[in-house]
Amino acid sequence: MKRFIANLLYLTALLLTVPALAGEPALVRMATTTSTDNSGLFDVIQPVFEKELDIRVHVIAVGTGRALELGRRGDVDVVLVHAKAAEEAFVQAGYGLQRHEIMYNDFVIVGPPADPAGVRGMSDAGKAFGKIAGASAIFVSRGDDSGTHKKEKAIWQQADIRPEGDWYRQVGQGMGKTLQIAGELNGYTLVDRGTWLAYRAKSPLQLVVSGGGELRNPYGIIAVNPERFPDVNHAAVQRLIDWFKSDGAHALISGYTVDGEQLFYPVTQ
Amino acid sequence: MTEILRYSDLRKSVHGRLLFDIEVLAIHDRTCVALSGKNGAGKSTLLRIIAGLEAPDSATVSYAGQDLSWRRAARKMRGNAIYLHQNPYLFDCSVTDNIAYGLRRRGMPLREISVKVSEALEWAGIGHLQMRNARELSGGERQRVAFARARILSPRILLLDEPTSSMDSESRAQAFRMIKLLKDEGVSIIVATHEYHTLAHLCDDHLLLQAGGLQSQPPGPQGSERKIIPYS
Amino acid sequence: MDSLSAATAESFRLLFSGDADLWIIIFTSFSVSVKAILFAVPLAFVVAFLMAHLRYPGRRAMIAGFSAMQSIPAVVVGLTVYLVFSRSGPLGDLKLLFTQTSMVIGQALLALPMLVALSHAAFQAADRRVWETSVTLGARPVRAFMTLIHEIRFGLIAAFIAGFGRIIAEVGCSMMVGGNILGYTRNIPTAIALETTKGEFAQAIALGMVLLMLALMLNGMLAFFQGRGVMSS
Repeated sequence: MKRFIANLLYLTALLLTVPALAGEPALVRMATTTSTDNSGLFDVIQPVFEKELDIRVHVIAVGTGRALELGRRGDVDVVLVHAKAAEEAFVQAGYGLQRHEIMYNDFVIVGPPADPAGVRGMSDAGKAFGKIAGASAIFVSRGDDSGTHKKEKAIWQQADIRPEGDWYRQVGQGMGKTLQIAGELNGYTLVDRGTWLAYRAKSPLQLVVSGGGELRNPYGIIAVNPERFPDVNHAAVQRLIDWFKSDGAHALISGYTVDGEQLFYPVTQ
Repeated sequence: MTEILRYSDLRKSVHGRLLFDIEVLAIHDRTCVALSGKNGAGKSTLLRIIAGLEAPDSATVSYAGQDLSWRRAARKMRGNAIYLHQNPYLFDCSVTDNIAYGLRRRGMPLREISVKVSEALEWAGIGHLQMRNARELSGGERQRVAFARARILSPRILLLDEPTSSMDSESRAQAFRMIKLLKDEGVSIIVATHEYHTLAHLCDDHLLLQAGGLQSQPPGPQGSERKIIPYS
Repeated sequence: MDSLSAATAESFRLLFSGDADLWIIIFTSFSVSVKAILFAVPLAFVVAFLMAHLRYPGRRAMIAGFSAMQSIPAVVVGLTVYLVFSRSGPLGDLKLLFTQTSMVIGQALLALPMLVALSHAAFQAADRRVWETSVTLGARPVRAFMTLIHEIRFGLIAAFIAGFGRIIAEVGCSMMVGGNILGYTRNIPTAIALETTKGEFAQAIALGMVLLMLALMLNGMLAFFQGRGVMSS
């Protein structure tokens, strides 16, 4: 009998922990990419916008593909990713309201200090990829359909190269893991500058290629379509998007540095 | 001597085979009846049916003058007709808790329980064991606990399944003593056994379960005063 | 191995400095897993008991089924729960996804097959006389059930511990249905996964040590209770 009552009480308590958030700040769920989350930018901007806008944001960091899938399924209220083509398709198909480009950072190519493919100092990513393929130097790819992976595939495509062979390794992992693996294998890889800056002290690899146009990495924020999922907290999401366009946000974003270097460049309208 | 319980047309099959079909079985108070039969004849099964632990295929039951379905009767029997296994199972707790088990289930107030348990311990002569864990006791001590645990519930019927089969002569004598005491207190006792001759001096009657039927047997060699109760 | 020892030293410092983030993660882990196991255990006991004591068609299949389900990987359970609780899924309106509640549910489902299989073994091995003795002494079925549980408690405690061990360290389910949200649904295993990908080994090791100590403790307790269980039968 005692046991039964204990169980009943426990069950009640459990049910009560299910959202009963009347009077609490509005909850917004955001899906973003692991590299964005790992860059540390949110540690700086999240407390600020949560306070200013009186909202609570739950950040779910997954790969780009999954982030957009969460948006499609209505499991989050807003997505912030960096895969322009996929984002535009997302909006076109009616899953998101509008794409707002709020900032960009860039990708860089890193590789072993010995630089077997001889690409150090180049800025044209396509040509660099060509030299890596030509030398059959080990290249580690994210292979997970993330923003980084899509960017990498776009560069191969532009250079008209199909990366095949033992030297091309697809790991299906996040950026940090991929960097670790590339470090272990002494290979080249494409990485967003943010993750690279956070990582370079621990990695045996070095930055070899940067600056080229195709390496630019724009970030888009998209509100999930409230017509598809009416209980999405749309008003709060809209305020959040507006915040990203504000001067205050721009200052925070450009002021954010990793290892002494600026990482993100806000898009000023 | 009054009749407590009467079964008519008591049938039981096991695995599709008819085990027994008993026309009449009447149980009276203050008697001790021996139930013998070969292994597999169904002695245990019969006892368990009476205790309400197993269901017969069909039976008409007359309890306290009322005709009942077996199901209703069984419910009344639990706690009233207590079945003791050949080696009774004692719970993994103290002797006191074991003996108090049935009374606690009845919701009796603790003070009352405590009094009755003391009395039961004395009856069985195991007062010195009250705090010991029942699992640690010797065979003879366990038997006393089992009897006390049943007796404390003031059952009308006790069903003993071969209580002395695997016992030394001292434990056996102890068991007989307790059975006699219980019988004098008015309890009706049915003992399944295949060593009838050892119990004959205790028993008022001897039933043989054979070939699916129940027959009363002529008095045993000890030929004590035998009450004639018609069974058929 | 320089970085390993440096990371380990740093991890000790983190643990004992009372780092709030770290301890929230540890607390979340326990909070979720304890609730899940408390939820699953009574259900498992009842199912296991019925499976051991009733005869019904399909019983053997059910026993084999629960045994087999123990092998379902955590991430598959996580995926299933995710699909059910997703806003696009059948129970999306409950808005349970990415909450601790969904983690509790996922982990309860994860633990259930193991709990049922192990407690079924305990009930199966139970002396038949226990039930009958309780009933003949006048106990109603619920009471008799409680008595039975008491008599075979060591085997059941072992099942409990094994089930808990399974869920406190799993990452596949928690990650899927919890979302690894900082301060909310991040538990020890998902945090370890995250910190490792970020290369923050000190944090990962600190959490790993907590988990390791817990695993050692659990296994010690398991050995103890299983031994007692054998001795008392």
